[in-house]
Amino acid sequence: MDSTMPESAYYFIQQLLNGLTVGSTYALIAIGYTMVYGIIGMINFAHGEIYMIGSYVAFAVLAGLALMGVDSIALMLAAAFIISIIITSTYGFAVERVAYRPLRNSNRLIALISAIGMSIFLQNYVRIAQGSRDIAMPSLITGGWTFGPADEFNVTLSYMQVVIFIITLITMTLLTMFISKSRMGRACRACAEDLGMTRLLGINTNQVISLTFIIGAALAAVAGVLLGLYYGVINPYIGFLAGLKAFTAAVLGGIGSIPGAVLGGLILGVTEAFTAGYFSTEYKDVVAFSLLVLILLFRPSGILGKPEVEKV
Amino acid sequence: MLKSFNKKMAVFTAVLAGTAALGSASIASAADSIKIALAGPVTGPVAQYGDMQFIGAKMAIEQINKAGGVNGKELEAVVYDDACDPKQAVAVANKIVNDDIRFVVGHLCSSSTQPASDIYEDEGVLMITAASTSPDITTRGYELIFRTIGLDSMQGPTAASYIINAVKPQKMAVIHDKQQYGEGLASSVRDEVKKAGINVALYEGVTAGDKDFSALIAKLKKEDVDFVYYGGYHPELGLILRQSAEKGLDVKFMGPEGVGNKDISAIAGAASEGLLVTLPKSFDQDPANARLVEAFKDKSEDPSGPFVFPAYSAVQVMADGMKLTSSEDPEKVASSLRANNFKTPTGDLGFDGKGDLKDFSFVVYQWHADGSKTALTK
Repeated sequence: MDSTMPESAYYFIQQLLNGLTVGSTYALIAIGYTMVYGIIGMINFAHGEIYMIGSYVAFAVLAGLALMGVDSIALMLAAAFIISIIITSTYGFAVERVAYRPLRNSNRLIALISAIGMSIFLQNYVRIAQGSRDIAMPSLITGGWTFGPADEFNVTLSYMQVVIFIITLITMTLLTMFISKSRMGRACRACAEDLGMTRLLGINTNQVISLTFIIGAALAAVAGVLLGLYYGVINPYIGFLAGLKAFTAAVLGGIGSIPGAVLGGLILGVTEAFTAGYFSTEYKDVVAFSLLVLILLFRPSGILGKPEVEKV
Repeated sequence: MLKSFNKKMAVFTAVLAGTAALGSASIASAADSIKIALAGPVTGPVAQYGDMQFIGAKMAIEQINKAGGVNGKELEAVVYDDACDPKQAVAVANKIVNDDIRFVVGHLCSSSTQPASDIYEDEGVLMITAASTSPDITTRGYELIFRTIGLDSMQGPTAASYIINAVKPQKMAVIHDKQQYGEGLASSVRDEVKKAGINVALYEGVTAGDKDFSALIAKLKKEDVDFVYYGGYHPELGLILRQSAEKGLDVKFMGPEGVGNKDISAIAGAASEGLLVTLPKSFDQDPANARLVEAFKDKSEDPSGPFVFPAYSAVQVMADGMKLTSSEDPEKVASSLRANNFKTPTGDLGFDGKGDLKDFSFVVYQWHADGSKTALTK
C-alpha cells in the first residue's frame, strides 16, 4: 500500500473492510431465505433461529473438545463446522417437516404464522435449555495485519476477517456449482421454475424442498460458527436481528435470486459501515432500511430479481 | 388430515399454556401471609441482575420470618418475570394487582419500572425498586413509589468528577445504547465534562443487541480520542472492549453499574482489565454486614452484586413500615417510610418527598480481567 496515501483513504478502506465482513455473513444467512422463497414462495422466519442454533452447536463442540484436551486449532475448527452443519441441517429439515409441509397447500398466511411460531419456539427452547445469559466463545484465531502509518490512523485486518471472506467465498462457489451442474441442482432449478410441472415430470419435489431447507440451514450453520467465533458472544436472541438483516439483504438483492442475496448482503453491510463511519452509528439502521425502501420503490423485485428469470 | 392437525393444535395450545404458567411461580404458600411481589427479569439478557435483586429480597424475607415475621404474619415472596421488557412489565404489574398483592420489590430496568409504576400508583400498590436509577421514575409526584438505590443524576456526576479530576483526558467520546438508562447517564456525563472544558469529540448511540461495532471503533480511532465513557449495559460494552483490543484501539473505557458484573470479563476477556466502573458502595465489604454475607455464602449465593443489598433493604424498610404502623395498608406504610429513618445493611436510610434516598453514594472502581475490582475512590 502506498505510504503517501492520506489518512482519509485508510479510513475509507477500513470501513469498506468492516462492511464487507458483516455483509458476507448477511449473505450466507440470506441465501437460506432466498432459496426457500424461490421454490415454495414462503418466507421462513425461523431461519434466523437456525443460525443461532448453529452458533450454539459450535460452542458445545468447542467446549467439548477443550474438555477432552484437544488444542489443535485446525481440528477444532473442522469439528465445529462439520458437527454444526450436520446438527443444524437436521433442525432445518425437521422444521420443514413439522411446521411447513402439513401447511403447504393452505393459505400462505398460515404458513407464515407457523414460521413465526417456529421462530418463537426455537428461541425459547434454546433459552430454557441453555439459559439466557451471554456465552463467551473462545477466540481461536487471533491477530491480524496492520497497514498504514503507525502514528496516524491505520487499517487493521484481522485473520478472522480473512477467514470469513475465504469461507464465504468457498461456500458460495460450491453452492453455485451444485445448483448449476448437479442433477439435484437442476431439479432445484426446475422446482423454482414451476413446482407443479416438475412434479408431473416425475421429480420427487418433496425431496427437493427438504434439500433446500437442509442447504439453507447448512449455510446458516457456517454463518453461525463464523460469527460466533468473530464476535465471541452468543445468546438465544442473536437470531432475531441477524435474521431480520439477512431477510432485508435477500429482499434488497431480489428475493429468489442467489447472486441477489450475496449482492444484497454486501450492499447492506457496506452501507451500514459507511453510515456509521461517516455519519452516525445511530442512523445505521435508518439509512440501511431507507435504502431498501428506495430500491423497492424503483425496482419492486429487488436489484437482481426478475420474475420471469429462473430463480432458486 | 384435519383431525391430525387439530390434535397437533391441541398439543401446541397445551404447551403454550404450560409456558404461560411458568411466568409466575410461588415460593411458599402460607394461609396467613403478607405477599410481596418480586418483579424483575428472570429471563432475558440481563437476568443476572434480576438474580441479584431476587436473592437479596428472598434473604430479607427469610430472616424477617425467622425473627417472627411482621404483625404476626409471615412474608411470602412471589416472583414475576418482566424480562426487562416494558410491555411485559405492564402485563406483570396488572397481574400483581389482579393477584391482590399490595407490595412490590422491583422492577429492575428503569424502562420497565417506569410504566409499571403508573399502574401501582393508580391501584394503591407500594413499590420499592432496588435497581432502577432513572431520575424520571420519582419525578411524577407519586406517593407509593420508592427506591433504595441512587439515581443516574448522582452516578453521572460521580463519573464526571472522576473523569475531570483523575483521568483528565485531552479528547474523549461518549457512547450510549439509546435506552432510557444509558442515554440518560451519557448525556449527564457529557454535559458535566463539557462544563469543565474537556473536548467531547464524539457523542453517539449504538443499538442494543448489535454485535458489530467495528465501524464505531474505526471512527474512535480516527478521532484519536484517549478516553471513552459508555452509558449502557455489559453485553454491548463487552463486545466494544473486545473488538477495540482486536482493532488496536488503545484507550481507557468507563461505564456505569450496568456494566459492572462478571459477565463483562467473560465477554471481553483480557480487554476488561482496567475498565472504570461506577458502582454503589460494596455493601458486602462492610464489616457490619459480615454475618449477612455468611448467610448468603451458606446458601452458595453471591452477595457481591450491586443490587443484592439494596433489595434486602427494600424488603426490610417495607416490613419495618408495616410494623411501625401495625397495618398492611400501602398508603400508611408509604407515609411511615417518609417520616422515619431505617437502619439497614445499606446504612441509615431516609426517604425524601419524592421517594428517593436522602443520601446515597457511588464509588469508582477499577475492573480486572478475572471479574474482581479495586475501589479507586471512597
